[in-house]
Amino acid sequence: MLRRLAALTFALLLLAPGALATNYPVTVVDDLGRDVTLVAAPARVVSMLPSHTESVCAVGACASLVGVDTYSNYPAAVTGLPTLGDAFGPNLEAIVALEPDFVLVDEYSGLQAPLEALGITVYAGSPQTIAETYAFLATLGTLLDRETAAAVLIGRLQGELAGVASVLANVDAPTVFVELDPTPYSVGPGSYLDELLTAAGSVNVVTAAMGPFPLVDPEYVVLQDPAFILLTDAPFGVTAADVAARPGWGALTAVVSGRVVEIDQETADILSRSGPRLGEAVLRLAAIFHPGTF
Amino acid sequence: MTTREPTREPERQPTSRPGGGQVLILAATVVALVAVVVVAIAVGSVTVTPDVVMSAVRKGLAGEPLRPLETIVWQLRFPRVLLAGLVGGALALAGAVFQGVFRNPLADPYLIGTASGAGFGAVLVMSLGASTPFLARVGAPVAAFVCALATVMLVVFLARVGGALPMVRLVLAGVVISSLFTAGTSFLLVAAREQAGGILAWLLGGFGFSTWRQVGLLAAVAVPALALVGAFSRALDLLQLGEEGAALLGLGVERTKLLLLGVATLVTAAAVSVAGIIGFVGLIVPHAARLALGRPHGRLLPIAALWGAGFMILADLLARQVIAPVEVPVGIVTALVGGPFFLWLLKGKADER
Repeated sequence: MLRRLAALTFALLLLAPGALATNYPVTVVDDLGRDVTLVAAPARVVSMLPSHTESVCAVGACASLVGVDTYSNYPAAVTGLPTLGDAFGPNLEAIVALEPDFVLVDEYSGLQAPLEALGITVYAGSPQTIAETYAFLATLGTLLDRETAAAVLIGRLQGELAGVASVLANVDAPTVFVELDPTPYSVGPGSYLDELLTAAGSVNVVTAAMGPFPLVDPEYVVLQDPAFILLTDAPFGVTAADVAARPGWGALTAVVSGRVVEIDQETADILSRSGPRLGEAVLRLAAIFHPGTF
Repeated sequence: MTTREPTREPERQPTSRPGGGQVLILAATVVALVAVVVVAIAVGSVTVTPDVVMSAVRKGLAGEPLRPLETIVWQLRFPRVLLAGLVGGALALAGAVFQGVFRNPLADPYLIGTASGAGFGAVLVMSLGASTPFLARVGAPVAAFVCALATVMLVVFLARVGGALPMVRLVLAGVVISSLFTAGTSFLLVAAREQAGGILAWLLGGFGFSTWRQVGLLAAVAVPALALVGAFSRALDLLQLGEEGAALLGLGVERTKLLLLGVATLVTAAAVSVAGIIGFVGLIVPHAARLALGRPHGRLLPIAALWGAGFMILADLLARQVIAPVEVPVGIVTALVGGPFFLWLLKGKADER
């Protein structure tokens, strides 16, 4: 028995580095369908999206970051780095001046073309769902030679979501309306936030037919009368009192029972960034919807 | 453009006594408007039966507690429809006045800075509101109203030479100041990118959260404005002869222009502050009314206002109904309908030459 275990351990030790270390050059396909090839583990990485910054650090490559976008504020290790504008207003000269060998950008930023022209390797994309978040973390692990850390992280996140799901298996899911801004724009199926709502044991009143980011008729919200209203626009000054003062909204169940939740800036960041704080996002939402359970 | 001599239309005498055709048009307009209001209140993303509407009206007027469906009808849909009507009427009235004073078919209520000023004020508050409590308390509607009036006053101040207000200078100053404020708005929009969606939606205009209070406020501005402008309809007719001609006939041209532009600007600013910047209504509705009724402003102004009201209620109905319960910003609907109409008008004018 002991001999078998020893043999197994030995085999694993032999295999592990081979299985979970990147063989460069490595090529992956980004969200724009481009081939992204790295010939060695990048030593100078720039992230132009807060969720990318978090993901790079979460797979253990924080030390390779040399610059980030203006909104990147987590983890604390990145706050001292040079800021380079944001995804849609980048400071191209400042990025190039840092001499990065790998840059992560949003697929809609258009940054890949000018950087590529200068010979810099660029990954253009961002996860839009929970499944894509896992896939992106795995891809990032491969690109940055952090496959083990990425696999452990993905396993932990899946475990956290599975844990929440098992706790909520026999619990009723309350209805919720999420407000992105006071117009009100909301989120529906197809969006990352909608998946978080489901994972946290709630039912979004916005349906698939309405699209992932609909401008919702206020009448519809009154008719649905959701148990919760989440104000992700609270950091911009929208309050529960504002909601109560809206025509016809004062008598809503969520208003009357004090379940209009003003989301703070940190939570709003976590909810909007598809990355390694996925488990934290679901736990925070679950704590809102099921205060006795979480 | 504005220096061009007005087109004379000898067959249309500026008479104040409406003929049979005009009475018919007015009567048909009122009946159609009432029908439009009824339909717009009956139809929505939430389906209600007529008895719910009736009980909502009865309880709403009596101040009794409302059931959820009655709440939707009385607290959301009634103010929404009425406010859309008032905004449409106000913008069409202001547009008719601007086109009359400038003697320019391209003039609209936003020509001399109302929209760009209002947009800048509202976006300023929306983008800085979170970090500046004072601005958050002021609120977008008040900021939009104040900035719209201030912008027009600045334009008038810059355009004035001696005691006169030449229309060409007014248009030029208005266009340049508008560009400046639009640039400022764009800058704030880029700086507050996270809120850009909401800000853009406000700029496009909408009636989603209309309240009875807004209905009251706008009615208090728009109805007296219609009466006041109506009292000056003869002066507007005289202005069509050219400013020198009008002065020869005894009109105090500068004073009349200032008063008419002031009233039109006030109603425009009030409309923009409650509903955002909704385009094309102030441009196309007066034209449609003029095509049907000719120039005399005594007939043109009330019909333009009523048609503007009906057009806007229908546009809002379309905006909230076409992919219900998801809304389309109403400014997109008015532009989609108004744009082609305006191009047709423009082409027709070009072919006349």
